[in-house]
This record gives sequence, C-alpha cells and structure tokens, in this order.
Amino acid sequence: MDSHLRSQCVFHLTGRRTETDALESNVSGLRPALLAAYRDLDALRHDFPLVFCGGEDYVQSLSAAVDRVLRKLAPEGVTGEGMRRRVLKVEREIRRQVTAGARGSLLQLWDKASDTLAAQADDEFVRDVRRARGALGIDGDVAGCDRELPSRFMQHAWSVVQREKARAARDRIDSLVIRLGDILRADYMRSEQALQQPALKASFGSAHRGLFDFGAMSKVLQRVGPPGGLGERRRARVEQARSVLTAQRFFPSSGEPGDKAGASGFHDFYFDSPAEALAAFRARLPELVQLLKSLQVAELEVEGSYREELHDPIFASLDESGVTAPDLRFFPDYLVCIGGHEQGEQAQLSEALSSGVPLKIVVQVEDLLEEAAPGRGHFAFGMRSARLASAAMSFDEVFVLQSAASNLLQLRSRVQRGLRYPGAALFSIYAGPADGTLPGYLAAAAAMQSRAFPAFTYDPGAGPDLASRFSLENNPQPERDWPVEKFSYADKDLQSVTEDVAFTFVDFVACEPRYAGHFAVVPRASWGDSMVPAHEWLDDPPQDAASGVPYVLAVDDGDLLCRLVVDDRLMRAATRCREDWHRLQEFGGIHDSRAERLVVRERQAWEEQRQRELLAAPPPAAVPQSASATPALAPAASAPAAVVIRLRAASDRTASATSSGAGSRSMKSMTPLTASISASVYAPSGTVPVLTRCTTASIRPLGISASPACSVVLTSRPPLRGGPAGPRR
Amino acid sequence: MNAVTNLKPRAAAARATGSRVVAKQLLVLDEAVVEIMSDSGEGAQKCGQSFGAIAARMGNGVWTVEIIPAEIQPPARSVAGASGNRIRLGSKSITNGGDEAAVVVAFNEQVLLGRVNAGELKPGCVVLLESMWGESPDAKIAAQYAETRDRLLAEGYRLHEVPMEQECKALVADPRKGKNMFVLGMLCNLYSLDMNLARDQIAFIFGKKDEKVIKSNVALLEAGWTWAEDNLDFKYSVPAVKATEAQVVINGNTALALGILASGMDICAMYPITPATSASHYLSDIFEKAGGIVHQAEDEIAACAFAIGASYAGKVAVTITSGPGYSLKQEGIGLAVMAEIPLVVVDVQRGGPSTGQPTKVEQGDMLSVMFGSHGDAPKVVMAASSIEDCFYSMITARRIAETFNMVVVVLSDAALSTAQQPFPRPEFDADWLAPPIDQNPVPEGARPYDWDPVTGLSRRFQPGQPGGMHTLTGLAHDQSSRVAYDPEINAQGLHARSLKLAALQKTLMPPKVFGDESGDLLIVGWGSTRGAIEEAVERLRGEGHKVSSLHLTFLQPMQPGIKEVLQRFRHVMTVEGNWSDDPSDPLIDETNRRYSALAMLLRARYLVDVDCWTEVRGRPIKPGTIYAEIRRRLVAEELHS
Amino acid sequence: MSTATFALHGLFEERHSLEDYQVGVPRWCKGCGDNAILASMQRLCRDEGLKPEKTVFVSGIGCSSRLPHYMRTYGFHGIHGRALPIAQGVKMARPDLNVFVNTGDGDCCSIGAAHWIHAIRYNMNITMMLHDNHIYGLTKKQASPTSPLGTKSNTTPRGSYLDALNPLTVTLGIQNVSFVAQAVDWIPESLFQIMTAAFRHRGFSFVRILQRCPEFVGNMFEPWVHDPSKMLMLSHENGIRVSPALQKIYRNQENHDPSSMNRAREVASIDDPIPVGILYRDPEVPCYEDLRHAGALRTSDSIRSTLDKELDKFTVWPQ
Repeated sequence: MDSHLRSQCVFHLTGRRTETDALESNVSGLRPALLAAYRDLDALRHDFPLVFCGGEDYVQSLSAAVDRVLRKLAPEGVTGEGMRRRVLKVEREIRRQVTAGARGSLLQLWDKASDTLAAQADDEFVRDVRRARGALGIDGDVAGCDRELPSRFMQHAWSVVQREKARAARDRIDSLVIRLGDILRADYMRSEQALQQPALKASFGSAHRGLFDFGAMSKVLQRVGPPGGLGERRRARVEQARSVLTAQRFFPSSGEPGDKAGASGFHDFYFDSPAEALAAFRARLPELVQLLKSLQVAELEVEGSYREELHDPIFASLDESGVTAPDLRFFPDYLVCIGGHEQGEQAQLSEALSSGVPLKIVVQVEDLLEEAAPGRGHFAFGMRSARLASAAMSFDEVFVLQSAASNLLQLRSRVQRGLRYPGAALFSIYAGPADGTLPGYLAAAAAMQSRAFPAFTYDPGAGPDLASRFSLENNPQPERDWPVEKFSYADKDLQSVTEDVAFTFVDFVACEPRYAGHFAVVPRASWGDSMVPAHEWLDDPPQDAASGVPYVLAVDDGDLLCRLVVDDRLMRAATRCREDWHRLQEFGGIHDSRAERLVVRERQAWEEQRQRELLAAPPPAAVPQSASATPALAPAASAPAAVVIRLRAASDRTASATSSGAGSRSMKSMTPLTASISASVYAPSGTVPVLTRCTTASIRPLGISASPACSVVLTSRPPLRGGPAGPRR
Repeated sequence: MNAVTNLKPRAAAARATGSRVVAKQLLVLDEAVVEIMSDSGEGAQKCGQSFGAIAARMGNGVWTVEIIPAEIQPPARSVAGASGNRIRLGSKSITNGGDEAAVVVAFNEQVLLGRVNAGELKPGCVVLLESMWGESPDAKIAAQYAETRDRLLAEGYRLHEVPMEQECKALVADPRKGKNMFVLGMLCNLYSLDMNLARDQIAFIFGKKDEKVIKSNVALLEAGWTWAEDNLDFKYSVPAVKATEAQVVINGNTALALGILASGMDICAMYPITPATSASHYLSDIFEKAGGIVHQAEDEIAACAFAIGASYAGKVAVTITSGPGYSLKQEGIGLAVMAEIPLVVVDVQRGGPSTGQPTKVEQGDMLSVMFGSHGDAPKVVMAASSIEDCFYSMITARRIAETFNMVVVVLSDAALSTAQQPFPRPEFDADWLAPPIDQNPVPEGARPYDWDPVTGLSRRFQPGQPGGMHTLTGLAHDQSSRVAYDPEINAQGLHARSLKLAALQKTLMPPKVFGDESGDLLIVGWGSTRGAIEEAVERLRGEGHKVSSLHLTFLQPMQPGIKEVLQRFRHVMTVEGNWSDDPSDPLIDETNRRYSALAMLLRARYLVDVDCWTEVRGRPIKPGTIYAEIRRRLVAEELHS
Repeated sequence: MSTATFALHGLFEERHSLEDYQVGVPRWCKGCGDNAILASMQRLCRDEGLKPEKTVFVSGIGCSSRLPHYMRTYGFHGIHGRALPIAQGVKMARPDLNVFVNTGDGDCCSIGAAHWIHAIRYNMNITMMLHDNHIYGLTKKQASPTSPLGTKSNTTPRGSYLDALNPLTVTLGIQNVSFVAQAVDWIPESLFQIMTAAFRHRGFSFVRILQRCPEFVGNMFEPWVHDPSKMLMLSHENGIRVSPALQKIYRNQENHDPSSMNRAREVASIDDPIPVGILYRDPEVPCYEDLRHAGALRTSDSIRSTLDKELDKFTVWPQ
C-alpha cells in the first residue's frame, strides 16, 4: 500500500493527518466542483430576486416579469435586440443591488437601477427603460434569497390569503348589518315615534315642508292599522346581533389583518412564538364565539326563519366547546415565524400543532448539521431541523411543507394551499447558515440538491391517502439517491474529460468551511485507483478502508480541480441522510420496497413455473428461440395485474437511471436550461492556454436559468517532490 | 331707469389690432334677454348654457330656455332648423324665460329670420350676425343675406355684422366648431362678465378633453372678447348679488332624476318618449352607482306594469312618461288604484292630442291625469312649478304614495324639462328615503285591506311578510282581498279609496296668495306658468292694480282654504297653457264655452265664477303677454264699472 | 359559512303540508284542466319546500288567471295580458322571491303577446305556465289565437278563419330562450315532473300546458286523451325520464336532448302526436336581474354620496 493511500486511509478512518503525508489540510475557499459555474450569481438570470405583488399570482420572479415585458415590447429578432439588451442590464443591476442589501418596491429599485446605469447610457436606453417600466404591470417589495426571505415570503403570502378572507367576511358582515338595520328601521317606521310631527316633517324636502300640516298628518296616520311589529325579544335579539357584528375586531374594513401598523383596535394575528399565538387565540375565543353566534342569529333573522322555541336553546348551549374547525375557517389565521434553533420553541411546536388552532407556523431552519460536541464529535445532524417536517406529518391533520428558500417560488401555489388549509400548518424552510460563505441562494439550493433538505409537502386536505397527500415535487432526479450531473474539464493532456458527478450530502457539507476538518485535499499526484467517488462509496462501502477511500471533487478560488478525501464520520452522516431520503422517496411512491419484493417473488415464481413447463413438455425445434425470447415479455402477459404495474415502475426506474439528463429534464415546472463552462487548460510548460468548450449538464436543478461565463482551470497541482508531470509530446 | 355712462376712449396704442378706438357706453340693466341662434350642431346650445352658468356664478338670477328643432339633423341655414338658446339674466332671481329678446346672436341670417317671424325679438333689438354669408360664392346665399340685412335695417334692428368665421380661422382649423366660444367671449364682453369665470367654465365643459382643446377654446373666447371690446360702442352690466348659500344650476328633467335618487326609490321603469326621456338618460347614468335600476320596457304599458310589480313587492317605483305614454298607462294606473299599490307617475307634458307637438310645452294633460282610467280612480295629482320643485316633488310624491298607498302623478312639462335655473343646493336628509322593505310578520288577525272607516287608510302587506299571504286583485275585493260580488263590499272599497284623498287633503296647508289676500282680480295657475304669472302680477301691482295670484301645487286633492281666497276677490281667472274657447268666437257662449282645465275644476268645486285665459302656442307664456291681457281686461272692467 | 349555521338552517327547516298551500274552493267548471295544474303547483310548493310568504303567483285575466286565488301564498291577479311585466317588476325588486306566472292562450298569445316575446328575451328567473285550452272561456267562448282552424265559437260561428298560432315554435324562435316545455293536464305525473324541472331551471321557464275546457270545447283533446299512442313522450338523461309506470302506457317515446335547438324546433311543430316533456333547455343564458344586479344593497350613505357627487357638478356658487 503506497504512502499516499495509507495517509488517505488514515485520514478517512481517523480524520487525522500524519506529518509526513501529502494531504493538505487547507481546504478554505474550496467548493464542490459542480458549483464552479456559479461564482458570479448576480450575472446569472435566475428565480431571484422575487417581487411580492398582490392577487392570485402573488409572487413572481423578476426575470419572469422582465421576460413578459420584453415579449410585449421587444419585437422578435435583431430589431428587438437593443431593447432586450438594455432592459436586461437594468434587471442585472437590480439583482446586484438586492444582493448588496437594497430594499424597496420594484419600481423604486427599477428607477434606482436605471439612474445608476443612465450615467453612461444614451437616450435610447432611457427611452426603452422607461417604456419597459410602464409595461411592468406589477409592483411590490423585492426580495433576494437571503436569511430574511422565509419570514418575508411567508408574511406576504399569508397577508394575501388573509386579505381575501377579510374581504369575503366583511361583505358578509356588512350586508347582514344593513339588513338587520332594515328590520329595525321597517319596524320603526310603524312606531308611534315615526308618526310624530318632527319625524314626518323630516321626511319631506325643505322646499315642500310649507305645504303640509304635520300635526294633522300625524293625527291621520295614527289611525293606520295596529302597529304590530317586532316583539320585544326579537328586537333585542336583532339589536344585539347587530351591535356585535358592528363591534367585531377580527376584520378591519381595510382588510389587512395582522398589519401591525393598521392595528386601530383590531386584533393582530402575527406572532413571534406559538405560545403567544395560542394565548391570543384563547383570549379571543369568547369574542369569537359571540361573533359566530351573532352571524348565525343574523342569518336566521334576515331570512325570517328564527324560531325561538327551536333556536333559543341551541344558542344558549352554544359555547366555546361548540366551535368547529369549519367555524374557525371563517376567521383570520395566526402566523408564527420562529427560527427553529432554540430548544424551547421546538418543544412548543408540538403542543401548538396538536392544539387544533389554525396556526400557520414558519420555522426557519438554521443549521442542518449541528455538530454536537465541538470539533470532532459525531453529527447529531438532522435529528431536529431536517426531520422536523417529517416528524410533523405524524400529527396527520397538520399541513406540512419543507423547502429550501431557493425553491419557495416554485412551491408558491402549495404555500398558498397550506395557508388556506383549514387547520394548523408547518412550513420548515432552510435559508442557509448564519455564517455561510456561499450566497444564500446557493447554500439553500445545495441543501435541496444534496438531499440534506429535500422539498416536500404533506397536504391532509388533498385526499385520504398518502399518495394524494404527499408530494416530492421539485427535487432533482427524485428517483435517484443523488442527482447526477455531467461535469467536464480538460485533463493535463488537454483532453476534455466529461464524467458523471453526483451532488451528495458530502458535497453539501463541503460548502461549509466550519466542517473543513472532515476533508483533506489530495494533490493530483497522489490520486490513486483506490480513491472512490463518495456516491459510489456509499452505494457499496468497501470491506476495508484500503480498497476504497471516498472523495468528492472540488475547485478552489482559482478554479483548480482537486479531490477531497472524506472522513468516516461524515460518510456515516451521509448514509443517514440517504436513508432519510429513501424514506421520503417511499412516501412519494418511488421505490416501493414492498412492491419490489413482491416483484422479485412473482418473477421467481413465474420462472420456476416456466421451468417446470419447459421440462414437462419439450417443445418442437422451432419453438425454443421464441420460447427463450418470451420470459422478458411474458410476465406482463401472464402475471397478476398488480404486479405488471410494479414491473413497469421498476423498469422505468432503471431506464431513467441510465440517463441523468433525462431524469432532471423530465421534472415538471422546470424549464431545462443548460449552462456551458469554458475550461481553459493550464500547461506547466507555459504554453498559451487553449480554450475548449464543453457543456456541463443541466444546471436548472439549482434553479439557475442563464449562461454563466466563468472558467474552471483544471490542473495537476505542481508535484511536491519533483517528478515530471509535463505533457507527453 | 337705465344708467348711461361714457367710458374714456382707449389709446390706440393699447390695441395691437390697430382697430378704431371706440367711445363706450355702459348701460346698467336689472335684467336682459339674449338669444343665440345657429344651425344645429354649431353649438349655440352649449354657448348659451355656458353664458347662463357664468352669469349664475357671478350671482345673477338666470333662466335659460332651449330652442330645439324637431328633427335631429335639419337642413343647414333653414328657418325650421334653428337651434339655440335663450338666456335671461337679472339682478334678482329669475323665474321664467321673460319677454322678447333685446340682443340676438345669429350664425346665419336664416335661423335669425325664424325668430324674427316668430316675434321673439324686441323692436330695435341688437343683432350680432355672422357676416361671412354676404361674401358667399353662392349667389343665392349672398342674395338671401343681403335681403335679410336690408329687411332688418328697414325694420329698425340694430344690426352689427360680425366676421366670426374669419376671426376664428386665425385660431382654429375648423371655425365652424369654434364659433360658439368666440360668441361666448363676445357676450362676456357685452355683459361685462368675469372672464376668469368664463375660462373656468370652458375648463369645466372640456374637462374630459386634453389641455390643448381647452387652450384653443380659451383663445377663441378671448378673441371674441377682444373683438367686442374693439368694435362695439356699447356694453351692458347686470349688477349681481351673490347668493349666500350654495346654488345649483340644472334643468327640470335632471332635477326629476336627482329627486328620484334622493327619494330612495329603487326602480324607474320607462319607455322612450320626448320630452320626458332625458330624465331617464341622466338617471341611467347615475342610478346604478347607488344600487338603483332604470328599466327600459318594451312599451309604455309594460313600463307601468313593471313599476307596479316592483312597487307591490318592494319600494315605491316610478314610471316617467309624456302624454301619449300616459294614455297607454291608464289601465295599469287603474289597477294600482284599485289594489292600492303605491306608485309615482311623472308626466312631462307636451303638445297634444295624439302625437301633437313632441318638443313643445302645453298643459293639456291635467284632466286626463286626474280623471283618466275607467271607473272612479282617485289618485293624487301634483304639478311642479319650478326646477327646484321638480326635485322636491319626487321626494314628496314618493312619501305620499307610500303613506297613503296611492298613485301620485307629478306633472311637469316641456318648458321645465330643458329650462335651467339656479336654486339653493339641496341638503340631503336620510329621512327622505323610502323605508326598507318590511319583512316582519303581520300582526295577528290583520287583513290586507283593514280600511279605517274615517281615513280609508290601511297598511299594505308585502311579499315576504309571514302571515300576510293574500292574493291582490284588480277585481272588487273585500278587506281580506277576496273577490267579492256583493254590492255592499264594492261600495265599501270605493268609499275607502275615495276617503284617502280627503285624508290627504286634511294634512295640507292652504296655499299662499301672491300679493294681497283680497282685491279686484285673482289669477290662479298651476305648473310651469308660475314665474310668468307672478312677474306679470308684480308689474300690474307696480302700476297700482289690485291683482294677486294663487299657484296650486296640489291639483287633487286641492289644498284647503282655496274657496275662501277666491271669495275675497271680485274676479277670478286662471291662466293656463291649454285649450279654452274664446268667448268672442261667434259660436261660443256661456252654454257651450269650454273652459280651461283648472277653471272648470274651480267652478265645479267651489261654485265660483272663474274665467280663464289660455295660450297654446307651444312656447312658454311670456310675462308680458299675461300682463298685457290682464291689463286689457282691467281697463275694460273700469270702463264698464 | 360555518357548518354550525348550516345545521341550524337544515335542522329546523319547516316542512309544509299540502294544506299549507291550499285556500278557498276553486270556482272552475267540473273537469276543467286548471284543477290539475293547481294540484301540481301545490305539490310542487310542498316538495320544493317553498316558504308561502316568499312565493308569488302572478296572473293576468282569464280562467287560468284565477289560480293565484287558490294558493295560500302571495298572489297578484292583475290585468289582461300584463302578468309578465308585473311579474318582472316583482322579480327585479325582489330576487329573493319565487315568482310564478299563470296565463292563458288569450292573455299571453293575444293581448299580452308583446310582453311574452320580451319576457323570453329578458330571461328573468320566473316560471311561467301557459294554460292553453284553445279558447276564451271567461268571456264565454270566443276563438283564441291557438284555436285550430275552423273552431266554431261565438265570434266565429262558421268556424275560425285563421290557422292556429303555435306558442312553442314562437317561443323557440326568440333570442335568449332558455327553457321550453309542453305538458298536458291529463297526465298529472308528467305535468308535475315538468313543472318541477321548470321551477328548478334558473331563467325564464316557459311551459305550455294543453288544458281541457269541457264547457266550451269539450272534445278538443278527446282523441289524445283516449289514445296514448297519440302522445309523444320526450325523455333524456339531461332532461326528465319518463317513469316506468308511464312508459307502460305511453309507448310512443323519443330520446330528445333538450340542448338540441334544431330538434326542439322540429318537435315543437309536431301537433299530432302531441309532444310532452322538455323541448329545450340552456342553463347558460344570463338572467336580466343578474345583469342588472337587482336587489343590490342600498345604503343611505351610497345614495348620499352619489347625490352629493352629482350636485357638486352643478354647484355654481359658492364653488
């Protein structure tokens, strides 16, 4: 076993380096090879920043808005080219400013950006940009993919839903108030008082009052029929209901519940902890019951179908215990945003979720890894954060959504379903670490890509069974353990090399410097055959360390490619991550373990059966060929239907497993866009770098949609101890 | 009484136009009548109304009358096609269109001739005439122009030829469209109106259009002003006293529509008919904003039936029409009377019988409205006598209809429908509104027609009221609304329905006499003639005659105390805009003379000898005409006594 | 709305009995078809659970138009030919009411023809019954527009001169028509079925009911009454299905889809055999009262603000 391999093994097993070995501990500035393309994120058109607008399509990506404008204004082909170029400039500038922390509405930022650019621009620019601004058609706060995003996004989505609710509720309440008022006024018009002089006089126009003797009129009208009218009890009931409806504090007429600014005596529904929300809910319960009763009384009264003998006892008995979930549906929901790191909150969560109160809880997950003991301790990884959501599914009637912040736009309609869901909902969102080096967007996207934080929703309202309730939407190549992308570079012989690279949990961890200790850089010279890509290693761990040391590909700031050996603790964490992923897959109907077992059994049974038949009756000479051909096809024909379906599923899997690109492209709601990486090759001999173009696989799974122009320089690091490594020519 | 002052001649240098310097005469008037005549489409209407509005803004009393051709697009330069506006402004409040005009602006000599022949112009009237026709390449036109000019001069009119077209050409591409604003400028100068108000007015008219339109019209306005300033050696001023309270200027039909809105009625069912329709046009525009509905039915009968159905099931509804339409509604109105369904009917009267004079005023419908529909069908009849009255009549009518479960007919007429007059802005009061639809259970044992033996009143049940179920019917019915052939019950029903008129009458005040409570002659009138009558009476009283007048708002029932008033005068006569035989006709004598509607009623009701004088010339009766007629009679009277 | 509210409504909805809708003793002649129509209306009110106080029967003049007097609901027995515009007024003012119209061949097809045509255009949510007995009854036997050519009557002693007007084809010829059906008084079950479908249709439901007048044209429908094969029963899954019991008697059936206007017009013009059932139905035609937002809630504030806005436009002094 050569020294390289030995030191690699040692590191892998112990995480320690020997003084002599060729491993470098300095892994700072390294990032997974697949992320090489995304150095300058602002230069890339992608889902972010977002625009929070109103209405059904309540959040849109800036790029989408701009594309819409360009489709409208910029003619196809060269004629529209100028316009497109100028407008896209503005878009990029806005993106830059947002990343730099700028806040404001789309139009504000638009103006800011165009002003910045107008400095060195011509009139055409100004003209086009103004036209485009006019055509935008939407406005609202702009948000980048930072750590504020989860709460901003959810607050916006929530207030859109609450506004709808409030509008409907107000319409219903207002019309009831008017109609109750009509009942009272109609009754008043027959009352003694309405027939007195002053009332009569007031009911005529000033210029005509001189025509009448209201005293006489009063006498005449007194004679009209018996007053009849409302009984005392009914009047009291109507007045009571009316006053409750007019005094209610749940729906401000502006229709902005939870808007702290417009509080004005109305209830606030936005809280920072589940406990506060629950407390508020309980405190308001009596008020809520009052309003519910009054609504029902009012509806019966305006219909004229209130029957005291029947309804009095019911309303007498109707109290807080009688409040049903559909009743609550009418009221605003409570929004709670917490950062899921404090222990206390975690504890509160389960109480809150099981309370039956329509809380919409947003948990912002900070750290997916949580290395328990400082330094080398084993990973308590995912025990809380990443598994919070899957744990919540056990409440059964709770709507659950887990997603990386980068993926929220894609899931916007599901987010709204969750907010409209009559009952508690949990939104677990990962927006990157507090002290990350990667842009928030990449950090979040990487978490989802690497299965460290997959996206899924559990919607109890969608149906009775798991199949209809659970969705694994948007995860790249969900049928695989890890998404695999084509990665190309040029080797020392200037030959373009393209290999399938999986983006594993290990790659994700490699994004975070604080876990650098789990990696060691292996210089090219020490690359050996016994080094195994992490995902292969995970697929079947070698018997002994020597026969396989796991590594992942990374690039440094200079885009130099290198391998990182991974220590065993991290590999174990990766294994656990994969197991969690498998569980989700199975929820999502991918790899149904039972079905697969069944398939195997059926197939065996069928083949034995087949064998027996063949032995029993030796076929004529011509037959065997066809007979031998049959097994592949036959099962579908002869096996039970249930199994046929399984077989299909199984074969699909293998089919798509063979082509990675197909896998990702076939995902819905993803417009396949490919990026190209131009790799220049550095030759030690100092010859001029040659540029060779070669494409990487679809990078859409990271949600990025444009052409990055950055380069990866791949090289063998200069050998430490001599040894010619120059080109053979 | 006209003050005359000489204004200093202006320095020629002051005028860029270099036109002749004029010594101006300023005549201070306390009232003036101006007419603006053009082919239709040249905007004399807009010009006149703006002129009126500006004067009103200055605080003048104003009355504007539209002069409307019968056809939509009459031939140009034709007497028949004359379209225009008459504006009467005064220092005091103005209540009618007044007498012959003292100043007329004409866009061509033919439309002018129409007015001359109709005798609408004072002798020596100032005529401002478009001069372009004189130079017309069309020899015939030029000749017509010359002929007219000579005639006018011969007849002593003060003719000023104005190169309107020419002046406007300098400013706008299509002078034909711009002239009216030029004329407005001229008139502003002539009557010393505030040009800033004039500019505001233009901004208001063209408010919907863009700045450019407003600018060019203001330019025309100023050009007109300058031309008059430079070329006319006289100007007038009608001193104004600004009102202390807010004033609105609208025409009668707009007032009706706003009144309907303000009365809280929900539904107006109508069928197009001149001159009533413009009320529905305006109402259609505004009603839905407040949840109201204007329903254009397939015919007048349906409109009436629709309104009756709506009234029966909901709030009181209104149907608006004019004479011919009213005739068609009669059967339906009878049903409303019989079933005691409250209903408001507006009849904007026009010339009759049959199709008559659709755009012209007449007071010919009073009796058919009062006694129309077969059998005894008592209903309330009111007549509006001013624009303001049109507004408040709707609120009053709705209230009475609802309170007494009766049909209330409100009479307006073609004169009020388009006339404009400022009046105090109404202050809305929620108590005007119809009460909400009563859905409360009816009292135990109550019946749909529990006629009160004294007042005949009963409370109507509305669908939706538990316990009130009954079938309303146009057949004779008993108190439970059951069809009844029993003669007793039939009489009972007729009795009750008739009593309601008496009950209403008991709630009315005696009408106020205009002038002294007693004297030689009392003139009684109703409807739109009020302003003219009272003005005539004022003049006569100014000359020392013991004349007073009485104007009736309620025609059925009539207000109490009228008989006493009539008896305090030696003679009583009505002045009306409907037909009455002239006693001097060879065949006419006391046994066959047909009296005017009101005169006949007064004679029948109060056994007082009531004479009448009427005019049916399709135009508002002039105060001067009334004055002359009364004066003639008084003089004759003195000779005889 | 909360389920609790539904519960309160649902749980205590009053059930009505036939008696709740009956009042007075019909004054129609013995054997008059109107009795059958009255019976089916009372049954319909009960089975559809209509509140008596929320239901209005509007009629014109004629034997048919007496029907409201025998319903213990609100009724409006109006004037000759004007039932429809009155009913429209009622519906426009009160969309919350169930409005029915009872009219006859003279009332609707002669003096009220204009309103009939336009009622179809308005397509308000009203259920109309045309009691068609081919004769003026109340005025003692004069030919009506639907009297067959040669009908002897007091005004046509030598037989009527003109061919009969066909109310079905006329109705189907008018824009916005949304429901046309034909029933006969002598098959009460299908009459009731058809009336129920008509009531449930949202829009103007025109049902022509062939009705016997034993007094004046006693034998008019005899051949059809006595020979079931002379009846053509229309049935369709989108329309109404003829009950097994009826199927046994009336074997002459057609599977007619009410959405087919062309076939509807053909069927409408058949007078022998007599088609019975729904000829045409289009639930998509908008209702006039909806287009006009009838029953909009009006508040004194909305009226005040509208009035003030308008007055502002006309205020000359002070500005």
